[in-house]
Amino acid sequence: MKKGNHQAYLFIAPFVIVFLIFNIYPIFLTFYYSLTDYTGMGGIENARFIGVDNYIRLFSDRYFYQAFFNTIRIWGFNFIVQMLIALGLALLFSDIRLKLKGVGLFRALFYLPNIITIASVALLFSILLDWNHGGLNQMLLSLGFIDRPINWLNSPAYAQSAVALIGAWMWFGNSFIVLLAGISGISKDFYEAALIDGANWWQSFKFITIPQLKPILLYVLITSIIGGLQIFDLPMLLTDGNGSPQGALNTMVLYLYNQAFKYNNFGYGATIAYGLFFITVIFSAITFRTMYRKQV
Amino acid sequence: MKNFVSILTLIGVLFILSACSEDEPDLIVTSFTDELQEPIEYFEQLHDVKVDLQIIPTENYVNTLRPALESGSGAPDVFTGEIVYLKDWIEQDYWENLSQEPYNVDEWRDDYMEYVWDLGINSNGEVRAVSWQTTPGGIYYRRSIAQEVLGTDDPEQIGQMFSTMEGLMEVGENMKQHNYRLFPDEGSIAPYTNGANPQPWVNENDELVMTEERLAYFDYAKELREKQYTALAPAWSPAWYASFTGPISYNVGWDEIDEDADQSDQTEVFAVSLPTWGLHSVLKEEAQETAGDWAVTNGPTPYFQGGTWIGMYKDSENKDLAFEFIKMLVNDQEFLTEWVMETGDVLSYYPVMEEVAADYADEFLGGQNHYDFFIERAEEIDASTVTRYDQQIDELFGTQVGAYVEGNLTKEEAIEEFYSQVVNAYPNIVVPE
Repeated sequence: MKKGNHQAYLFIAPFVIVFLIFNIYPIFLTFYYSLTDYTGMGGIENARFIGVDNYIRLFSDRYFYQAFFNTIRIWGFNFIVQMLIALGLALLFSDIRLKLKGVGLFRALFYLPNIITIASVALLFSILLDWNHGGLNQMLLSLGFIDRPINWLNSPAYAQSAVALIGAWMWFGNSFIVLLAGISGISKDFYEAALIDGANWWQSFKFITIPQLKPILLYVLITSIIGGLQIFDLPMLLTDGNGSPQGALNTMVLYLYNQAFKYNNFGYGATIAYGLFFITVIFSAITFRTMYRKQV
Repeated sequence: MKNFVSILTLIGVLFILSACSEDEPDLIVTSFTDELQEPIEYFEQLHDVKVDLQIIPTENYVNTLRPALESGSGAPDVFTGEIVYLKDWIEQDYWENLSQEPYNVDEWRDDYMEYVWDLGINSNGEVRAVSWQTTPGGIYYRRSIAQEVLGTDDPEQIGQMFSTMEGLMEVGENMKQHNYRLFPDEGSIAPYTNGANPQPWVNENDELVMTEERLAYFDYAKELREKQYTALAPAWSPAWYASFTGPISYNVGWDEIDEDADQSDQTEVFAVSLPTWGLHSVLKEEAQETAGDWAVTNGPTPYFQGGTWIGMYKDSENKDLAFEFIKMLVNDQEFLTEWVMETGDVLSYYPVMEEVAADYADEFLGGQNHYDFFIERAEEIDASTVTRYDQQIDELFGTQVGAYVEGNLTKEEAIEEFYSQVVNAYPNIVVPE
């Protein structure tokens, strides 16, 4: 037997080199930034090394905590709505009793919102949600649901809900496709056997679909957490970019962006990035643990 | 698979070919608008060279260009900078020192408006960037509405009415009686609050300077809102743009709806505060339908907003040509005269301005000579109050004033929140107790 196949290293080299230069190096550099008061100007070599001061500040920074809870709230609401729609539609389209036609067409239609540039989406919704000139209020008023215009983007709860719902609208198609693929991957035999045994819809959903779908659900959940914790563009574009109204749209990445690029606190921005990194790791770990608890 | 590989190869070959055959430009200019496109074409013909204009949108300009300037790789030969970060950039080694040989731009000094020239000088007394424009602000208003409500459309007389805050509010009341709104939004009044007692946001001891006049913005903004003198169309929103061309929807379904139902759901905006560049980059672009119906006059106090400076990269390999370009853009009488005639931009360069202002009538402004007006206003500008923090602190302040106007916070809460956000953004700044 040969001692080792050294050629293999050659084949993985391109990826490893790119990964080291563009991922690992910046990650370590960011950590170094987080220990300095670097402003992004005048070179990192001239920045002052301040040790863990930035991390001490992070732990007592009420704006960071605000950003954390805002992010969780927006993501959570978004995820629940998105999954209810996506799972419901996936079940509907995969049901062997209903045998719905046009899956391909609907798959494309549901996915459409996802391919619109987020900047256009934000512009579109800021026009629709404009309280005095926007379409939504005008519609609700003329239908008689409300008797005075609601200032959607001026109320923290409405603004956060708006971001969550727009996110759900944009992403349910994506989750739908993944879930539908997952459900299609479950052997029909299970359902037929269940049908013969007299299982009702709820029982086959609970005892076949969900357990079989677990790895896919886990995948959707984790990618959604990672994406959701990084929510930035909609809150940035929908109001003034500073988290208005009253800091309700101040999310973690928006806060990072404003600290680093608007206020030139590169060092502190890097610290926030590390805070975000650890939060993401913790959330992913919890998800993994709970989803695979029984197997372990 | 075979097809795929051959297509990939083809794309690769084409890419290499195109990269080779492309002419290397003689000069690379980076800016945040396409404003320099025409000067560049003029310059290309004049010197028979090829100049590449790279446009990076304003929102990304600093964050895209700055790393290139910091590292030196991919930096352009010539680049512009806005007043927002000008103070930061002239202190860095980005722009070449134009005071030294062979440029000696200090010789030009007397031909320029003092404040514009001084803003390009860093703490060592070196000129790092120069500018061709000046950006005083005024109030643009609709002549037809003025005629109908105020009985005159003469900029002098309207300026008289606008010369105090009380006068402004009086006009606001008058407008409201006729179902017009004085301004599109409350922000239009902001320049005249600090303008009454110009102070820098942050003094040399890193202390935040809060004045009575600045605090008055809270009250004036609230007054505008409560008395319904504005059309609730925030600056740069679609409704704001729409307000320049005709009636916009207003007061849909409010409690206090006027008895006259068909009047209450639409209103027309009378005036807006904008600086010089607002004329050619906002009004002339967006308000073609109302061309000729506009005029510009003074508000209660002078103010200025924005401005673009230009300089050359300190390690450019084409410094001679780069300087020629800057010289043309800033100091070439023939070119600048043409430029002014074409754009209506107001220059900080006296030789051209004096000539043009002597006899000029802008069609969009109903034949008004706005150069005369703006040059006079520019003389009153005090740029010693400019700090590197202005844009961000103004924004934070405006947000809190907005929260107070909307009724989300009391004035005290809003001020407290403002201080807290300033310290959070700039920990070095000391805020009042």
